[in-house]
Formats: sequence, structure tokens, C-alpha cells
Amino acid sequence: MALINLAAREINYKIVYYGCGLCGKTTNIQYIHRRVNPSARGRLVSIATEEERTLYFDFLPLSLGTVKGLRTRFHLYTVPGQSFYNASRKLVLQGVDGVVFVADSQISRLDENVDSYLNLWDNLMGQNEEPGNLGICLQMNKRDLSSIFSVADLTELLNHTGSPVIEACALTGVGVFETLKTVCKQVIAKSSRN
Amino acid sequence: MARRRGLVINDEQMQMIDGVLSKLQRVCGSHFCALISTSGQPITTCPSDVDADTLSLAALAAGSFAATRQLAEVLNEREFTLLFHEGKESNLHVMQVTEQILLLLTFGHDTQVGRVRLYTSRALEVLKPIFEDAEESPGGDSSHVIDREYSREAGTAIDDWFPAQNE
Repeated sequence: MALINLAAREINYKIVYYGCGLCGKTTNIQYIHRRVNPSARGRLVSIATEEERTLYFDFLPLSLGTVKGLRTRFHLYTVPGQSFYNASRKLVLQGVDGVVFVADSQISRLDENVDSYLNLWDNLMGQNEEPGNLGICLQMNKRDLSSIFSVADLTELLNHTGSPVIEACALTGVGVFETLKTVCKQVIAKSSRN
Repeated sequence: MARRRGLVINDEQMQMIDGVLSKLQRVCGSHFCALISTSGQPITTCPSDVDADTLSLAALAAGSFAATRQLAEVLNEREFTLLFHEGKESNLHVMQVTEQILLLLTFGHDTQVGRVRLYTSRALEVLKPIFEDAEESPGGDSSHVIDREYSREAGTAIDDWFPAQNE
């Protein structure tokens, strides 16, 4: 649900990075935080365990600037990837406008990717979200590693909506901004159509 | 396909909302009041030039409130509609206005909690119908605000957003 404040001339969109544990969701957000002009971003808030695993969410507000007289912001969130944190994931998904599903490309992470993908759709359906109303993007992360799935195989497994696919290495930043731009454009396109 | 409805607040509604917050802040002796969405986005604050990081505050307060509601469910309680944090210097009070809106305010130890609870409850009676109108009225449909022109200009702005990044 985009929040539009006509009096303040503001629009806020919520984008959630989703995926299994250690797939690179927080790494994406941290890279964006490091590389974005400080005037265009707010504070990076992380609610993490002592082992630096996401406990609740990471949050990073980004400002696109003023578009057609409306100050436009994107609020980026991650969810905790570990399977037992599903209650927290549902909460973070509330009011979402766009989702980046971050897939770990390693063959050894197949089960975790599929579980997380199914869990995403379960949770969206549980909130009566129409997938067609959301901006959705599949980021295939860790493309620099060996023993990884082909793009075609991962697309077959994790992209039943035919959403845009971006190859990435979040640690070095490859594909991180391309992913962000893609989902932001989708979110705006969807909200202008809804 | 079902249409998604955003929350669209017009000038008149915002004036009424700001008026309520301003009065609430005064009668409660509050340092700071804010209305935020349950999805973690700030709507308005009083005073408007407050020095707090309202974006982080909204995200954290909404997250905290959402977790509190889930706690209620786990404990078979119908709902916890209030969240209160007591600090050494100030306290934080969060209440639900509608399904989509939360009211939060901070106050010091020179103000009694009962006073805050009383006046926030009265403020909710005024705020609730305003937000219900914003959610349900034809103005709640965002298509007249986010049109094709906005979409096109935003797309260009996004393309120019991070020109110096190493993709």
C-alpha cells in the first residue's frame, strides 16, 4: 500500500528483500547504504542477533527526490531468512509494494531457496495480496561462486510469475543497484496502474 | 484483478489531523507526537520540525507494535491496543487508531500516564473517522495522483539515481 500524503506532497513505497538465511539480503542493503549519496538515504537500522543474523528486519529509507512535485521515498526492508522466524516475516510484509526475492545460486542451497520461495507466496496469499499488484524481481545472488545453478534452472524453479531476473554478487555490488532500480520501477508502474 | 487501495490524505484532512495532534501535544505535555502507518511509514509529526529520525522511529514503532499484536494472539488475548515503554528521561506511548494507522507520543516524567491515556483516547475518537474517510473515500484511490506522467518521470529519475555506481 503506497502511502500518499498530498498535504506534505509525499509518496512512500515499501520494498522487502526476501529469501532464505544467508542468501545475501542484508548484504544488498548494506551495499546500498555504503554506496548511496548520504543525502539520499536515512539511517540503516538493523535488528540482529549477536551473531549478526537478522532477528526482525533491516531498514533503510531512500529518497528518490521530487517527482512531479511529489517527494518520493522507498523504504527498504529485509526479513529474517531462518525458517523459524516466519511470524516476523509476515509482519515485515505488511503493506508491501514490491518484493526482491534473493536466491542463493549455490546448488547446495536448493531446498532452502524453494522453501523460502513457497513461504513468500504463502505469506502474500495469507495477506490477500494479489501478486499482479506487486513489483516483483528475482535476484540470483552469489554468481561468482562455483557449483551454482544455471540462470535457466533457477528461473524455472523460482520465477513462476515471469518477473525480471538479475544476476548479482551482492558482496562486490554487482547487480545490486540494477535490482533496486528494477523493483522500484516496477512498483511505480504497478501503483500507477492499480 | 483486485485493485489495491493506498491511503491518500488530502490537505483538509491533514489540517484536521495536525490540529488534533497539536492540541494533544499541548494538553498531554508531550515532547513529540506522530501518526504513522502500520507498515512503518510516517504520516505527520508535531512539532513538524522535530529533530528526531522519524523514518527510523516509524519503522521501529510499527514493528514493535506489530510484534505486540502477535504476542496477544499467542497469549489468546483478543488484542493489545496499547504499547508503552518507560525510560529514564522519557516514555513512549503507542496506540492503534485504525487498522492502518498508529499514534505515538513521547512525554517526560512530569506528565502522568493516566493523563496521556485519557487524552489520547479522546484524540482517537476524532482521528479515527478522518482516517476511515481517507481509506474509503474515492480519494483513497491513488490513480489520480500516480498517473502515467508521474510513472514516466519517476522512471527517468530512477535511471539517473545512481549514475556513478559500479554495476
